[in-house]
Amino acid sequence: MKVIVHAEKCQGHARCLAEGPDVYVLDELGYNSTSIDNVPAHLQEQARRGALACPELAITIVEE
Amino acid sequence: MSQHETNAPPKGAPVVDFDLSSQRGMEESNAAWAKLRSSSPIAWSNDNGGAWIVSSYDMVSEAFRNWEAFRSGRNVRTIPGPGGSPDLMPINAIPVQTTALMIPEELDPPLLQNYRRVFADLLSPRKVEAQLQPRIKYWVTKYLDDVIETGRCDIVETLTGAVPGAVVLEWLGFPECDWHRMSNAFHNMASYIPGSPNAQHLMDELEWTFQRIEEEVTAARGSPRDDVISHLANTEIEGTRIPYQFATGLLNLAVSGGVDTTTSVASAAFVHMHRHPEDRQRLIDEPGLMDRAIEEFLRLYPPARTHGRTVVEDTEFGGFLLRKNDRLIISEVSACHDEAAFANADKFVIDRFPNRHVAFGVGPHRCLGSHVARAMFKEMLMQVLERIPDYRIVEDELEEYPNWSMLGGWSRAPITFTPGTRRL
Repeated sequence: MKVIVHAEKCQGHARCLAEGPDVYVLDELGYNSTSIDNVPAHLQEQARRGALACPELAITIVEE
Repeated sequence: MSQHETNAPPKGAPVVDFDLSSQRGMEESNAAWAKLRSSSPIAWSNDNGGAWIVSSYDMVSEAFRNWEAFRSGRNVRTIPGPGGSPDLMPINAIPVQTTALMIPEELDPPLLQNYRRVFADLLSPRKVEAQLQPRIKYWVTKYLDDVIETGRCDIVETLTGAVPGAVVLEWLGFPECDWHRMSNAFHNMASYIPGSPNAQHLMDELEWTFQRIEEEVTAARGSPRDDVISHLANTEIEGTRIPYQFATGLLNLAVSGGVDTTTSVASAAFVHMHRHPEDRQRLIDEPGLMDRAIEEFLRLYPPARTHGRTVVEDTEFGGFLLRKNDRLIISEVSACHDEAAFANADKFVIDRFPNRHVAFGVGPHRCLGSHVARAMFKEMLMQVLERIPDYRIVEDELEEYPNWSMLGGWSRAPITFTPGTRRL
């Protein structure tokens, strides 16, 4: 599984972090610009929930 | 350049009779939005000077994101914007008369991002957790301690109004003797009943608050102290200290955005749990549901119900031609209650997920205080459910804000409960 973060859409709501604390990383201002190439199986549910929670629809999950 | 000389409806627009300023209570306001949303998600109303009213979730989100067409700035030399008179604040759905600037809310990109960084840095999730959370816990504990042995209080005055005032004004660096008066200036303005004789007093109190901000900014620019007021007052952008008017604007927004907004949703949550004991019991039994419940309270009871924008150039939107200088009223509350986006939208679904509500707005003006707001709200909920879990609202004495057009909330909410013990 890949997580693609569209940084230009992120407005710093931090809902991804709330749903996926072990997956998502925010910068010092609270914004997310970190895509992830390979999400380990045990964190995939967190990744999916974090993407679903984003009010800006800034996160795409690519299931492989 | 001001508004159109006449507010004739644009050609082809659905014209509705929708007087936002007359929305008297929560039920009435919610019903008016539901009716409008189901008939025309975008419509023109001649009320309040004439404006487009945007009410569906999709169009509200799109309108908030489209800053290139829909501007927040007012028409003064320092802030280039289309917003008409320099004395009118155009970010309000119905622009209010004030010269006090709200920065960065009244800015448009590219200036907006430079000024947003200032608050984004101070109020990031990490800093809220590390620096503000201990103070939030302290003030919630202390204010509950003050009343817990009596078995009775007004939860708005004691807790939901007092905590945001103390947390925000202490954080900024205002002396404690100012807190009550400053936060009450905003709370009492929201509670103001049109036509009542105390209007002048309320305006004076608000004016006093903005004056206190100016005094503090002037002092802090003269000789900076080690506090947030001084940090904001002496903000540098690209190596140059920001103008005085923008420094006071940062403080105006921190204070006015900070003090009476979390109050609104927290009060609403306590009223809700009184009327829906089954929801209260589930939160007591399953505290793990708290974070989801917080989002659902925000969705059902968003404090900021509407905002305003000004059309900068003729723009196609929702199938209509919006004319340069037309006003837009964008409704967060209507978006949050839209059935097309939320199943059973009028129901409180404690574990609703996903819950992409727009209580904090979306797009480039997303509320920068959202992380501290959630933290304050959560601590108040947790301590009330732990320490006075059997509280009951005295329904006869419950008072709503008299107007729900821009900010919703409760003027007072007296409660009774089984007395408990102090913690400090």
